[in-house]
Amino acid sequence: MEEKLSSVAKTFTPSPIQELSHLAQRCNAINLAEGFPDFSAPPCIKQAAVSAINNDFNQYRHVQGICDQLALKMNKMHGLNIDPLTDIAICCGQTEAFAAAVFSIIDKGDEVLLFDPCYETYQGCIAMAGGIPVYVPLDPPHWTLDPEKLMSSFTSRTKAVVLNSPHNPTGKVFSREELEVIAECCRRWDCVAITDEVYEYITFDEQKHETIASLPGMQERTIITSSLSKTFSITGWRIGWAIAPASAASAIRNIHVKITDSAPAPFQEAALTALSSPTKYFETLRIEYQSKRDFCMKLLNSVGFRIQFKPQGSFFLFAELPKDCLLSDVEYVKELIKQAGVVVVPGHGFFHGKSGSDQPSDESFRHQKRYIRVAFCKSEATLCAAAQKFGELMNAKGSPKLHC
Amino acid sequence: MLRTLCFKSSTSAPTFLNFPRASFDSPFFFSSIRRFNNHPSTMSTQKHTVSTHDGTPQITQQPLQVAKRLEKFKTTIFTQMSMLAIKHGAINLGQGFPNFDGPDFVKEAAIQAIKDGKNQYARGYGVPDFNNALAARFKKDTGLVIDPDKEVTVTSGCTEAIAATMLGLINPGDEVILFAPFYDSYEATLSMAGAKIKCITLRPPDFAVPIDELKSAISKNTRAILINTPHNPTGKMFTREELNTIASLCIENDVLVFMDEVYDKLAFEMDHISMASLPGMYERTVTMNSLGKTFSLTGWKIGWAIAPPHLTWGVRQAHSFLTFATSTPMQWAATVALRAPDSYFEELKRDYMAKKAILVQGLKDVGFKVFPSSGTYFVVVDHTPFGLENDIAFCEYLIKEVGVVAIPTSVFYLNPEDGKNLVRFTFCKDEETLRSAVERMKEKLKKK
Repeated sequence: MEEKLSSVAKTFTPSPIQELSHLAQRCNAINLAEGFPDFSAPPCIKQAAVSAINNDFNQYRHVQGICDQLALKMNKMHGLNIDPLTDIAICCGQTEAFAAAVFSIIDKGDEVLLFDPCYETYQGCIAMAGGIPVYVPLDPPHWTLDPEKLMSSFTSRTKAVVLNSPHNPTGKVFSREELEVIAECCRRWDCVAITDEVYEYITFDEQKHETIASLPGMQERTIITSSLSKTFSITGWRIGWAIAPASAASAIRNIHVKITDSAPAPFQEAALTALSSPTKYFETLRIEYQSKRDFCMKLLNSVGFRIQFKPQGSFFLFAELPKDCLLSDVEYVKELIKQAGVVVVPGHGFFHGKSGSDQPSDESFRHQKRYIRVAFCKSEATLCAAAQKFGELMNAKGSPKLHC
Repeated sequence: MLRTLCFKSSTSAPTFLNFPRASFDSPFFFSSIRRFNNHPSTMSTQKHTVSTHDGTPQITQQPLQVAKRLEKFKTTIFTQMSMLAIKHGAINLGQGFPNFDGPDFVKEAAIQAIKDGKNQYARGYGVPDFNNALAARFKKDTGLVIDPDKEVTVTSGCTEAIAATMLGLINPGDEVILFAPFYDSYEATLSMAGAKIKCITLRPPDFAVPIDELKSAISKNTRAILINTPHNPTGKMFTREELNTIASLCIENDVLVFMDEVYDKLAFEMDHISMASLPGMYERTVTMNSLGKTFSLTGWKIGWAIAPPHLTWGVRQAHSFLTFATSTPMQWAATVALRAPDSYFEELKRDYMAKKAILVQGLKDVGFKVFPSSGTYFVVVDHTPFGLENDIAFCEYLIKEVGVVAIPTSVFYLNPEDGKNLVRFTFCKDEETLRSAVERMKEKLKKK
């Protein structure tokens, strides 16, 4: 029967993260790996969902009000004019919006540029649609975009660029200059930008999230995807969307209908309440996540890390292992689970090896095994517990005991 | 390194008129008034000026060209009909979802789950308790013992189970056999997977499987066969004999079977039989189902696929890229729902049978030729006694002049000619609605 598997299914291998998850579970480790909160969703939004169920909003549904509110938001935040009747497709999470967006524009052999390191799921969608992922590495330690690397990655087959900002796993927020560079390439090569903006409301210090769609000549060639999940701590509700010019939005909607038909109805209703949250909600969100970020940085510094890149957004910290640590990322994570009872994600799974036509030396890829991703979307209690565990790692002289 | 799928543009694609279209049973028809611009799906012919950094105008093509596979997605006849229906205040017996709500005990379970904080990502292939409940239910229904963690995948509705099965298990160029008329997501997702579709038409009055045609269609080149039983739109239920014949052909030719069984609890005239329970079939079958029809909660999007581990693997891969995880609180509620006592299912059947009786008798009295429907909440009828030239014309007439909505079935066929005499009515509506619709038809629909 093995031969019955599709060629795509055969290329997927079991995840090393799975192995680590099992180890973490066995050791009852504190989870700073998973990218979802362990604190509650806002009560009024939960109540809205409860009311929706009670008021019989339980059949297939498209809640146009979500589109109306999103159009208002996009106008207020980014100055974009979006037609709520034609430019928005509601989907089961940003995951489905992205999958549908890829299916809507990618034909066999189309190349899609991705910035490396990058969230795992994008390439799977692209492959399913027959596209070819091409990775453009961001340069450590600050994950800067090298315009040369970007421009040399475009070919006549390049159809789209995927832009995730604020960025998982690094916490980078692409600067306006970087957005301009990407935009210029898209315009010149007549390409589409597909964005993943799920962390759009989680930015720190003075950093503001800008969508590439707001740059000149970009709205007509950008598909924005995002969701409620991270903004409202309801990752399990599966309410997301794609915003695009009408023809693409229509195609995305049609594909979505064939993939799932409808996003969960009561949660669409609750989305109306969520999206009309007062400005104060979003301010508080930022402030709270920022203090968690700061706490996390202190935590890691206390066990020998020297964080060179402070996250500007998202709820992830991508930290390079201490210079004197000889372990690989996977080995370090295992040790951390065993010795400190804390689990994080080894970074190499986010990197995708060679890019462009240059033959890279081993040296330039060493860094791919030197990072860990820490999620700080956790309650105070969890973070403090982690701090305590880390504290126990320190020996009498104040140096980390973690066998490295 | 990930090998890329070789997507061949399907030269065996269905004709223009029959290319995938939005499902009539989807929310976009009757729950909102939408202004559908008849945008062509490619915008390549429009040009406009863009200023570059140094101010030189540059003529560019409008870039957002939609993938070739979707070239034929256009505003559908259903959308036009739905707007017509709202405009004329028609009674809706077209939509495939209830106008009454699900049981309180299930809704309360969802509410409790939300309050208990079960609002974050569920395990990708399903909340463990729910997978366990599904395995238990499957054992009760089929007698088969399965591993809930290795053989059950939870999806956003059966629609996603179908999409994940096609995309996870079908290679471009693979031959897949479909029975027409068919639920339209089958054709769409098969074309997304690049499959070669071979279609076998079921014909009135009993929509029996034409065995000889099937025997000549199936071969060692066939990758899979897709079966929906109880069947939308005809209400046909595949008999044990038909399933046995199909099973032996599948075993002989090493063919996979994809079973869509969402209406299995709405089996009225005979017992529902799961292909997976036939000898030698479990190892090559993906059995798909959902909560929506059984519990009148179609908007919750809780579905599942049950298959042996080597097939589940492919389904899960595709699922993880399509939606990643399924709505968490609803899974908890679904766990409660599946443990409903037998009396719930018996009452469900009784209620639907009463509704069916009202509609079927009414349709016969009005003058339709009504074909026997053994299961689902649909019935198809021959509309030709009323003198309209085809099913679409009849449905338009029915909305405008009579004030009732039905579905033209031609859109469920590869060749629309095969369906032009048939329309589909649903009886998943409260009794008053059904009676009113029948009254309107008695009053205003006259035989020619």
